[in-house]
Amino acid sequence: MVDSLCDQAGGRDLAVACFYFDFANQKEQSPTGMLGALLKQVVGGLEEMPWEIARAYEGQGRVIGGRVPQLGDIVKMLQITSSKRPTFICVDALDECLAGYRVKVLDSLNQVLQKCPGTRIFITGRPHVQPEIAKRLPSRVKSVSITPRRDDIIGYIRARLDEDMTPDAMDNILEAEIIEKIPYKISKMYVWYKKRHSLELLAN
Amino acid sequence: MSQYFSHNTNSVNTVNVSNSYIIDGRSQILTWLSPLDPRLRHQDIQGRRVGNVGEWLLQTQDFKTWCTGSEGGESDNAVLFCYGDPGAGKTYIRYKE
Repeated sequence: MVDSLCDQAGGRDLAVACFYFDFANQKEQSPTGMLGALLKQVVGGLEEMPWEIARAYEGQGRVIGGRVPQLGDIVKMLQITSSKRPTFICVDALDECLAGYRVKVLDSLNQVLQKCPGTRIFITGRPHVQPEIAKRLPSRVKSVSITPRRDDIIGYIRARLDEDMTPDAMDNILEAEIIEKIPYKISKMYVWYKKRHSLELLAN
Repeated sequence: MSQYFSHNTNSVNTVNVSNSYIIDGRSQILTWLSPLDPRLRHQDIQGRRVGNVGEWLLQTQDFKTWCTGSEGGESDNAVLFCYGDPGAGKTYIRYKE
């Protein structure tokens, strides 16, 4: 999807920025770093540096030892760039962001939306963050459930079979059996996982 | 009328001497904005994604409406939240070409 938006951007003047939260890097992925990374991508796609950002950069040099941008500074700069052209922001695995950071990330995104209503924000995450998103980005959220689709699983298996390093071990019958049985097994595993997850939630 | 960095003679490293100064100034500013660089993760996932997996989402009315938007109108859903359990394919869906 990010690439699809980038392709569209080829013909239209729009900005696309993405960020991936990761359990393994939770502490480093602060709200300031995350929003800054989005801004960096938007600015990186501009032919010329907006003077507001250049001025903020110069201003920090006057403080002893330099000063890193604060969250409020980054949000203001994102509001400036997003008001200049349509901006698509994609955030992956919001549930992997620390809960304390998540509040600030969502509030910051909301501030950008308030100032620039044309901004589009795409978020993925586990279902439990949905109420938080709805609260922090009020009345602007459409939710879509993502479940493994049979066609997607078959497409994935076919692509992997094409890369098989030992093609001699494969024949049409075995291939047909794999393509028939694995999607079925996966759907059963998925139902099993969902049941277990629901039980865990109840137990907690 | 907006002013831009390269036109601002007071900017760091942009005394309009040469393009290389302007480029240096840009990369310094970009690094200053954030030490994080999501492009590496993007390229990693891009390389592992398979064909048309997840294309169905791009064909849904929800996605199309979100994508085109209505510039902040009352019915405008500026945020599209795709939720699912671990392993459902959320991350890879985001990379359809």
